[in-house]
Amino acid sequence: MKRFDCMKALALRLSDELVILSLGASVDEWYNAAPHMREASLFQQQLGCVSAQAFGLAAGLPHRRIVSLDTDGGMMFNLGILATIGNEQPNNLFIVVWDNECYQSIGGPPTHTASGRVDIAAIARGAGVTRAYTARTVEEFDKHCAEGLAAREPYLIVAKVSGTVQPDIKRKHSDGREDKYIFVRHVERTENIVIMGPSEHN
Amino acid sequence: MKPSAVDAVISGLKKAGVSIVCYLPDSLFKELYPALDADPDIRTIRVTNEGEGAAICGGVFLSGKRAALVMENSGLRASVEPLARMGLGAGIPVVMLMSYRGELGENNWWAIPHGITMEPVLNALRIPYRIVTEEEKIERAITDAFSWSYSAYYHSAVALGGSVVR
Repeated sequence: MKRFDCMKALALRLSDELVILSLGASVDEWYNAAPHMREASLFQQQLGCVSAQAFGLAAGLPHRRIVSLDTDGGMMFNLGILATIGNEQPNNLFIVVWDNECYQSIGGPPTHTASGRVDIAAIARGAGVTRAYTARTVEEFDKHCAEGLAAREPYLIVAKVSGTVQPDIKRKHSDGREDKYIFVRHVERTENIVIMGPSEHN
Repeated sequence: MKPSAVDAVISGLKKAGVSIVCYLPDSLFKELYPALDADPDIRTIRVTNEGEGAAICGGVFLSGKRAALVMENSGLRASVEPLARMGLGAGIPVVMLMSYRGELGENNWWAIPHGITMEPVLNALRIPYRIVTEEEKIERAITDAFSWSYSAYYHSAVALGGSVVR
């Protein structure tokens, strides 16, 4: 199963959701798989922070569906967030864990999931995220996307994907700072709120 | 902490517009946490480590709500990586309120590292901070930290020490 194919399937189901995703090759793949979601997607560069930041966003915007595109390496960096989410039970947070069993962006050394013993979905269930599953085909993944995006409780899907990157895709040029402004202005416009307002004149 | 100091913290957070507090409990602030939990205007989120709390606060910032990260100053060390990435890499601010463990007067050997490292770590990250040891200055310090962080879009910190926490 290729991550890019999963992303294209997920992208077809998204319109007004907000997406937090991890740094790495998946950023360029996501920007190509979901061009209509570019302003609504923000990458988080630190391992272990993607689902935490997505949960913070979900806590602040409880009426809005938030999608976290996390990774095996990122999730294992801070498994504690699964316990926090398990206890908090946000009803608007859908988490995808791209599990390619390697640290792909640095050349592919294995993560702990490569051993076959470590099961992130099982860890999530043990942490109180009871609706946590593993998908191995695009059809299975897409079915879980439909359920996860409609769920009224946290929903996590571990997508077992190959370690390959979609070739010849357009690179995203913006950095974290520019992305933040674009994302914040998108949230302001779609929520009719002010996050980064004008300076005082004093 | 005296009840009046707890009230001053909560009043400062409310004046700053805070509606979500992420915390990992510690002993010097032990009276503060249940008071935050009990406050109907503040949602508390208990976290498994302070770095996770920083990331959640960053997400709350993106939602337009205001959050604070409340912790012992040792939590600053656990938060350095997400703080550096969010603050310097993206301009996503986190306002921290921490108890000052390890300052002069500390009587626990295990807390000495927290006092020795707090200010150098804050300075390494170029995070402006105020150490407050008088109760009547708590509220202003918290609202000032939020004013600064929402102008700079960078982190700030308030450390409560001295007779405020002992």
